[in-house]
Amino acid sequence: MSDNRHAWRSTLLSVGFAALLFVVAWKLIVVIANYPPFILPAPEVVAQRFVSAWADGTIAPHALATIQEIVIGFVVGAGLAVVVGYLLARSALAERLLSPYLVAAQATPILALAPLLVLWLGTGLAPKVVICALIVFFPVAVSTMVGIRSVDRRLLELGRSMRASRWQVFRFLELPAAMPQILGGMRVGATLAVIGAIVGEWAGADKGLGVLINLARGSLFDFPLMYATLLTIALIAIVLYLLVLLAERVLVGSWR
Amino acid sequence: MRFAALLSGVLVAVVLVGGCSSAPTPTPAPTATPLTKLTVGLGYIPSVQFAQFYRAQQQGYYRAAGLDVTFQNEIDPNLITLVGQGAVDVGVADGTSVIPAVGQGVPIKYAATIYAQFPDIVIAAANGPIKTAADLKGRSLGIPGEYGSSWIMLQALLASANLTASDLDIRDYPDFGQAVALQQGQVDSATGFRNNEPLQLAQQGFATTQLTIDQITPLPGPGLIVGTATLASKRDALTAFVTATLRAMDEIAANPQLGLDDTIAQVPDLGSNKDSQLAVLQATIPMWSSPYTQLHGSGAIDQDAWTKSLDFMRGLAGSNIPASLTADQLVTEELLP
Repeated sequence: MSDNRHAWRSTLLSVGFAALLFVVAWKLIVVIANYPPFILPAPEVVAQRFVSAWADGTIAPHALATIQEIVIGFVVGAGLAVVVGYLLARSALAERLLSPYLVAAQATPILALAPLLVLWLGTGLAPKVVICALIVFFPVAVSTMVGIRSVDRRLLELGRSMRASRWQVFRFLELPAAMPQILGGMRVGATLAVIGAIVGEWAGADKGLGVLINLARGSLFDFPLMYATLLTIALIAIVLYLLVLLAERVLVGSWR
Repeated sequence: MRFAALLSGVLVAVVLVGGCSSAPTPTPAPTATPLTKLTVGLGYIPSVQFAQFYRAQQQGYYRAAGLDVTFQNEIDPNLITLVGQGAVDVGVADGTSVIPAVGQGVPIKYAATIYAQFPDIVIAAANGPIKTAADLKGRSLGIPGEYGSSWIMLQALLASANLTASDLDIRDYPDFGQAVALQQGQVDSATGFRNNEPLQLAQQGFATTQLTIDQITPLPGPGLIVGTATLASKRDALTAFVTATLRAMDEIAANPQLGLDDTIAQVPDLGSNKDSQLAVLQATIPMWSSPYTQLHGSGAIDQDAWTKSLDFMRGLAGSNIPASLTADQLVTEELLP
């Protein structure tokens, strides 16, 4: 217990020190290069704008819209990916049929797909969810496939020898054994979902952090607001990553 | 673990800031007659709408003035910051973007008017019920988004009829498909540019009514912008550039075919549809002049109109334009012939 607390404190100190170093380096570069705010605002200017933009309600509605897109897109994309990943792992036919499409979908730039999805699905929530789901799908599907395939065959044989049903084999053998890989894919997927939401908003939206970046940069020329928005996006990604990490700890039982 | 966290922090800082460094200022190559290098930023896509620049380049007006001009295509927000930074010497940007940019500390000035008439308009079917701004009430309107010069124009237009955007059914077409939506009957009206959407729709047999803000608010159209540091360091070269460009502009206004020929010589890909390109150019040319420029010469800047625009934009909801900003901080006439 004491060791755990010590490890936590040590981790927090390291992360805090790294963040401090980052901010100091940022400030030094602004001072040494004498950058004006429209090229690179100083960290305290961004921090001030970050606080004021949250306080006056500039960022909050956009952040909520983006979080909604990310969460729904991630759940849909990761959910489908686990199902398809399992099929790929256990069915040679499914792998033959689906693999080319999966690789093609992954290789197609999401930036090129996004405007088409907006054209087909309109400018509402649907295209952003689809873009998030698409971008999340591949890493989770592949990690699920690898995880399921890596389950010890002796365990499966043991399960069959005990007359376990297919569902019981999946629920009690395959899923727990593959969980570390699946959650590893989800960790990657969670951060990619953030990118997907922003790309979707750039292709067409009236609300969201991607929209706010464009407004701050191209209409208001409020560069500290643009950086404050980027900071918000980064924080959302970090929180999502930590949530998956927490899920991993709960489900798998140890920090990886 | 600690070392990894430290290293990652430093690396992220270096990568983030590395992308922000200024582009090096071009150094003139040693030649028999030293030319001053100028990087000129035009709109994102090469277009016949930049014919005056292409003509001045093709006919050697820039070179004869001692300039070595290279063109760079950039979107408006990028161009404004690049010009402010000094990475691009001179660019074409919306006057309505210059106002908030200068208000937020970007060191640029609007140095010559290219579009003396504001190009953004609202269009509707000619045989439909929309004939004035007041007719827009309760109707649907397609826009690319709530930003930029078209959004400012729309607010000015609606204000003239005591309307706001909430009185309309505004629909977003971020892929700029609002004109197609109008043609297909998905919306009752749409924003567009005088020299683009009405022409394209007319070519397909769809006549339009055009609502402009000419008589409402004198918003500044696209023009030449320069960075204040560049203005100080390359004043003579910039003056020569403006003079050569305006000369080409006047020549094209008198004979559009010259502009088309030089555009195709500069950007051969645009020659694939000459008739369409000529139609765009012919629709663009009238916007280069206004009663003010006819009186004071091509490129002239109407400071009173800028002051009115500034006041109007400052009064818009969500405006971040400081009260202390004045028109003389936005424009300079020192480069005009």
